[in-house]
Amino acid sequence: MTEQEELVEELSGLLEDNAGDLKMQWVKEMTEMGLLEKLTPIEIEQQSSTIYDTCVLTLKTGMYEAAKKYAREMAKKGVLEAMTVDQIIMGMLKLRDVYGRFVFSKYQSDAEKLYEVLGVYEPVANRILSIVALAFVEERERVIKEQQQAMLALSTPVLQIRDLILVLPLIGTIDSARAAQIVEQLLNSIVDTQASVVIIDITGVPVIDTAVANHLIKTIQAAKMLGANTIITGISPANAQTLVTLGVDLSMLTTRGTLRSGVKLADEMLKIEVVEKR
Amino acid sequence: MEIPLLKIEDFLVVSLQTELSDREIVELREEILDKIKKTGARGLIVDITALKLIDSFMAKSLSSIADTATLLGAKTVVVGMQPAVALTLVELGLRIKWKIHTALNLERGINLLRKALRSETEAL
Repeated sequence: MTEQEELVEELSGLLEDNAGDLKMQWVKEMTEMGLLEKLTPIEIEQQSSTIYDTCVLTLKTGMYEAAKKYAREMAKKGVLEAMTVDQIIMGMLKLRDVYGRFVFSKYQSDAEKLYEVLGVYEPVANRILSIVALAFVEERERVIKEQQQAMLALSTPVLQIRDLILVLPLIGTIDSARAAQIVEQLLNSIVDTQASVVIIDITGVPVIDTAVANHLIKTIQAAKMLGANTIITGISPANAQTLVTLGVDLSMLTTRGTLRSGVKLADEMLKIEVVEKR
Repeated sequence: MEIPLLKIEDFLVVSLQTELSDREIVELREEILDKIKKTGARGLIVDITALKLIDSFMAKSLSSIADTATLLGAKTVVVGMQPAVALTLVELGLRIKWKIHTALNLERGINLLRKALRSETEAL
């Protein structure tokens, strides 16, 4: 056994033997700081025990897997229960202090030994803290990404209103990422449904500039190549004016003022007649 | 490679199953035009359902086949284009003039040609 391993053995042994006292000290200090307000006494007991034991285990084995796994779980739970990152990190820092002070008091008579023990203890404590912080950042990022994807999918429904007519209501600003997604979704829907007329309603698009107009034109051309005609509806007067001022060539667009008249035109194109029942 | 040229009613149907090399495209073009001349077909349908990729040469060739066929009296329709292919062509479209008629599938293609022929006859 090397000197280092001996030190690790000694230190983790000490921490295990004094687990009860140190844990109580830790919980007491966290409670004083108001970090545990949202937890029940049982939860406090369970969580603090697990964290304490995991830390000692990590120190003992030098393996960070258990700590990583637990940190991930904690991050998931913390984010869900709206526990602030600040609270958790402060709690972990507190635990580090409790361990640190304990080490100081144990070895205060032997400065050289204290120095060596700290050399073993500090890297592990720091690493655990960085694991916890990282787990939180990653969890946040995962949630954000998930929401972004959900929003993207939600934002462009393709509706089949008749056998051969699709409606694509666009709402919100259109950037190139979204435009690419819209084209893809629309083309796939055309092939799936074998629709021959597509109505793109842009009532909900606040600003139409050259970029958006270009995206629209590309979409229309691509749909045309599959064999579907496109009608644009719902261009607001302000947007129409902008387009004309910008000099965007819209000669290849078929446009109608409202979705209603767009549907009417599509019916005409397909020779569909809607008759009131008598 | 042999590519069958089928005749349905007054129309010639070509179904492309694999990507063609540039040389094969040129050969195919000759063959198609010969056949139109020989059969007096009034329409040409090129089915590209199976193609996952169309490069700029292929696109240009299709375009020129269509132009030439029109001179020979046959209107051209491309049917069954895949979404990815359409997107690529639109991106390329800045440089390539694409004025061929398109339809979603073979059936719609035939209908389109019939309609076009009818209106042409009526106009005369």
